[in-house]
Amino acid sequence: MLQDLDRLGPVLAVLVAAGLIVLADLVVPRRREKWLAGVALLGLAASAAWMVQLIARDRQASYFSDSMALDDFTIFFTFLFIGVAGAVLLASLEYVERFGSHKGEFFALVLVATAGMMLLAGSRDLVAIFVALELTSITQFILAGFLRDDRGSEAAIKYLLLGAISSAVVLYGMAFLFGIAGTTRLVATDGGASIAGAIAAGDSGIRSALLVSMVFLAAGFGFKMSIVPFQMWTPDVYQGSPTPVAALLSVGSKAAAFAVVLRVFFEGFGADTFVGEDWKMMFAVLAAVSMTVGNVMALRQTNVRRLLGYSSIAQAGNFLVGLAAISSTSDGTALGASGVVFFIATYAFTNLGAFFAVMAIGNRTGSDEIEDYAGIARRSPLAALVLTICLLSLTGLPPTAGFWAKMYIFNAGMRADLVWLVMIAVLNTVVSAFYYLGLARQMYRGDGEPGEDLRPALTTQAVLVAAAAGVCVFFVYPIPLIEAAQRAVHAFA
Amino acid sequence: MTNLTSLPILSIVTFLPLLGMLLVLLLRGQQAMKIAALLVSLLTFVVSLALWAGWQAGEAGMQFMESLPWAPELGIHYTVGVDGISLALVLLTTFLMPLVLLFSWDTIHDKQKTYLALLLLLETAMVGVFVALDMVLFFVFFEASLIPMYFLIGRWGGPRRIYAALKFFIFTAFGSAFLLAGIIALGWLHFQQTGVWSFNVLDLYGLGLPANLQTLLFFGFVLAFAIKVPLFPFHTWLPDAHVEAPTGGSVILAGILLKMGTYGFVRFLLPLFPEPSQRFAPLLAVLAIVGILYGALVALAQKDLKKLVAYSSVAHLGFVTLGIFALQLESLSGAVLQMVNHGLSTGALFLLVGFLYERRHTRMLDDFGGLWKLMPIYAAFALITFLSSAGLPGLNGFVGEFTILVGTMKYNVVFAVLGTLGIILAAWYLLWAFAKIFQGPNANPANAGLKDLNLREVAIMAPLVLLFIIIGLFPNLFLAKINPSAQLVLDQLNNPAAITQYYQTQTVSAVEVGER
Amino acid sequence: MIDDAGVVVAFWVIAVSTVVCALMVAAVRNLVHAVLFLALTFVGVAGIYIVLAADFVALVQVLIYAGAVGVLMTFAIMLTPAADRRNSETIFQAPAAVLAGLVLAIVTFVAYDTEWRISGRDAFPATAASLGEAFLKPYVVPFEVVSVLLMTAMIGAIVLTREEGDDV
Repeated sequence: MLQDLDRLGPVLAVLVAAGLIVLADLVVPRRREKWLAGVALLGLAASAAWMVQLIARDRQASYFSDSMALDDFTIFFTFLFIGVAGAVLLASLEYVERFGSHKGEFFALVLVATAGMMLLAGSRDLVAIFVALELTSITQFILAGFLRDDRGSEAAIKYLLLGAISSAVVLYGMAFLFGIAGTTRLVATDGGASIAGAIAAGDSGIRSALLVSMVFLAAGFGFKMSIVPFQMWTPDVYQGSPTPVAALLSVGSKAAAFAVVLRVFFEGFGADTFVGEDWKMMFAVLAAVSMTVGNVMALRQTNVRRLLGYSSIAQAGNFLVGLAAISSTSDGTALGASGVVFFIATYAFTNLGAFFAVMAIGNRTGSDEIEDYAGIARRSPLAALVLTICLLSLTGLPPTAGFWAKMYIFNAGMRADLVWLVMIAVLNTVVSAFYYLGLARQMYRGDGEPGEDLRPALTTQAVLVAAAAGVCVFFVYPIPLIEAAQRAVHAFA
Repeated sequence: MTNLTSLPILSIVTFLPLLGMLLVLLLRGQQAMKIAALLVSLLTFVVSLALWAGWQAGEAGMQFMESLPWAPELGIHYTVGVDGISLALVLLTTFLMPLVLLFSWDTIHDKQKTYLALLLLLETAMVGVFVALDMVLFFVFFEASLIPMYFLIGRWGGPRRIYAALKFFIFTAFGSAFLLAGIIALGWLHFQQTGVWSFNVLDLYGLGLPANLQTLLFFGFVLAFAIKVPLFPFHTWLPDAHVEAPTGGSVILAGILLKMGTYGFVRFLLPLFPEPSQRFAPLLAVLAIVGILYGALVALAQKDLKKLVAYSSVAHLGFVTLGIFALQLESLSGAVLQMVNHGLSTGALFLLVGFLYERRHTRMLDDFGGLWKLMPIYAAFALITFLSSAGLPGLNGFVGEFTILVGTMKYNVVFAVLGTLGIILAAWYLLWAFAKIFQGPNANPANAGLKDLNLREVAIMAPLVLLFIIIGLFPNLFLAKINPSAQLVLDQLNNPAAITQYYQTQTVSAVEVGER
Repeated sequence: MIDDAGVVVAFWVIAVSTVVCALMVAAVRNLVHAVLFLALTFVGVAGIYIVLAADFVALVQVLIYAGAVGVLMTFAIMLTPAADRRNSETIFQAPAAVLAGLVLAIVTFVAYDTEWRISGRDAFPATAASLGEAFLKPYVVPFEVVSVLLMTAMIGAIVLTREEGDDV
């Protein structure tokens, strides 16, 4: 039991930090509340350190009666979430002024959401997955409404209602799996009953239940991944919620959802089982629809955040190409699965950079309308440059990590003989170039007077530079990230 | 085997300008930045001369190869190398760049640091395009060249620059989407055949695809490159881009960027898809001839000198394309040489237009006349350049056009006759424009105080004119290096398998170097 | 045993009345009535739990859902002065009904088509002890995480509803 608790340490560290912040918030004077972010960052650092020592002591195992897994996959995503949360906290130092006396709660909630995501990536039991999903969701419902203005509240309530429905749908899908397997464990290391085992041994007798279950699960998780047709909330929430929260949602929440989908479908349903082709085809169709709808809708947006919202839907479609192209890991490459993981990692850098740049600009100009971005490059050159790099990466153009991500996914698609899907993806890339580069162009146009200097705060600058540097460095030298992604999915072999 | 010197010369030539860009970004002070940029570009040129000096004469294949793993899981490597064809274009790039920087010395005042940085970035991308042997690497450089050019036009261009920049970008980006799809398809096909991903073009040469698949990919590649060239009827972005671009941008665009398209034809299209290349060569040759005649006729009707030069580019590139798709040794070598010639002479033409525009802020032919007396040095340089562009014997243009026509004659006499008609038209509009500007009475009083070229401007034009004469008189200096490689490309058309083996020995040796 | 005639009759009676109550929730015009029907639905669900031999869950269902949640919702409606006490009309009623019907049809089909895994345990054991065991053994992580979840929800409720003025 203690050993298992030790393996849960990285999550516990984050939760303890969150608890400390809530308590300290009671005694810290209002002017000093910002310093609580330091506690949050320390918590994240402790979590990372704990994870490092777990790796050093070689503690990888399935633990707590197979309800949790500490494998390379969990490790990869844990570090990813720590990084994302750290970046969000640093970048929000300026923004939190708008939260009045609730700065401490904001930091604590971000940490709780992060802990939820870590749990989500590490769970291999349906109940654990569901509870972790709820922990992430409910925290984010609250965060989305943190500004308490009309638009924010509307976004939060929309998010809450749709989120509640999606949770119900996920539960329904899980119920079918339980009915088939008689257990909630995805895998059983002790040789007992498990969902993976039941499906691997299954035949057409349980096929219809499995199909319904996978549709329900995809629908429920699809809400978190923001894929069509479960995407309705995305643009509203990205627009209405506080920008750091939107950044966290667009990167962390999405990554966690894809992690759990990989876990459930790749580890549970299995790629080579008799339903393997079914769920891959389902994701292929969802991928095509998501990309197309997201990109076409994004073309007509006039607000940067809504544009990023639709772009995030389209990008989710790109991730799905990798899911559709999943093959068994036995051939040693597993391009599809590692492609998704690699894409998520590069996307994390890219989209965080984009959102923080939008936040830095919006903090100063007070507007997120695209038309107000004209000539912003003169007033805030750093933010404009970072946003441009990130937009290039989202398009998939060199010299950015996004280029490798697209290459990787397309290769995986071709490899899985999904030529039609790759063609659609390529065409969608062309469409996306119009609005991504249109925004970039808008920033660099206009010869108007160089207005007041809109330099963002020092911490924001640091995060912006770090995100852009990540995007560029992983273009020049992608090998370590590719290898990490491949190791991560080998956990499922 | 190639001459494997210990230094990675190609990488140095490629990335030296990028380092220069960082240096420029770090420096403060206008003068320091300008000097640094110029010195870096000159240094790059000097280093690139090492390629010339260390060249293995008579060798047809790749030389100076380097290979490093980049994303090896996907079969993507950083592989570079040059043969005679790419050598000519690399040298053209490194030669033109200092001249462009020198031209921009006093003419760009706004955001000079960014301008210089973009130019140096562009140089890296352009050299990279010509040396890349991995198709993904090629694509990266191909795209990377797009973005600085987009900003050069969109930021420092004329009144309609935003429109022109966007049109340029959309046309080219549209083409490159097909290019990327084609590249991925090739890597995949290689995987299907051999079980390993590879994007090394030397590996891909040996694919030996079924004819219908070749045709499909062939047209994807044709579209991407034809837009870049630009081949009629994809040329409509070019006049807009040229007219709106700043002079330095025009020189690079006409001199080097357009060559990426024709280079793509030679390096990728012909050897990768031999069957459809032969089948559809007449189609592309006809498009090229239409381009020659159309470009020349439209040029005749222009009132704006820069537009005239822009349309003459369409005609000249038509010549190059005709030379490539005539599929004869003479015409192919001639086409490669003509790429260099066009880069030099059209670059010089744009520079001449630029000198005039800086002084008078107009480019309308009707505003000028009788400049011969006012600006004798300028007129002398202009005369040589116009004659070079028109293909006067003894100058570089003649050699290229003549060899292209000789080859085309072997291929199809009608094509050759029509091509000759294009040369006559070119002489007509160029000499007509020359007469308009330099001869006759000086009717416009605004021209009265025009100053002749200063020392800096002479320093820009002199090397160009010198090179016109050198190439015109000693074309074999270049042709001797180009010919073996051109012959190899043609051999591949006829007997792909044998040539593939030849290349594979090269690939193996390059990988060994990479691992050493 | 579960195939007992009495159990079967009980199941059908409870099931039908639960479904009718659930339909009434959506159908009645007065919101307070709707809440009362909702409470009845909860009780019905508790009845189904009993039929399924889940005594503890049934008890909790009655206490928390039929009791606490129902009362809470009634309070919420009563204490919201401006609230319209009537169930609102929406244009989505027809499509929603079609969708619900479709899902029902599919699920019914699946329920009959699938070879379910039959649990082999006895009919009516006391479940409280085994539930406790499950919470603290295989499901200890989710169980503990739920407490964090509740804590978070409470903090959220406070943050979102407290007026900015009244700082303590």
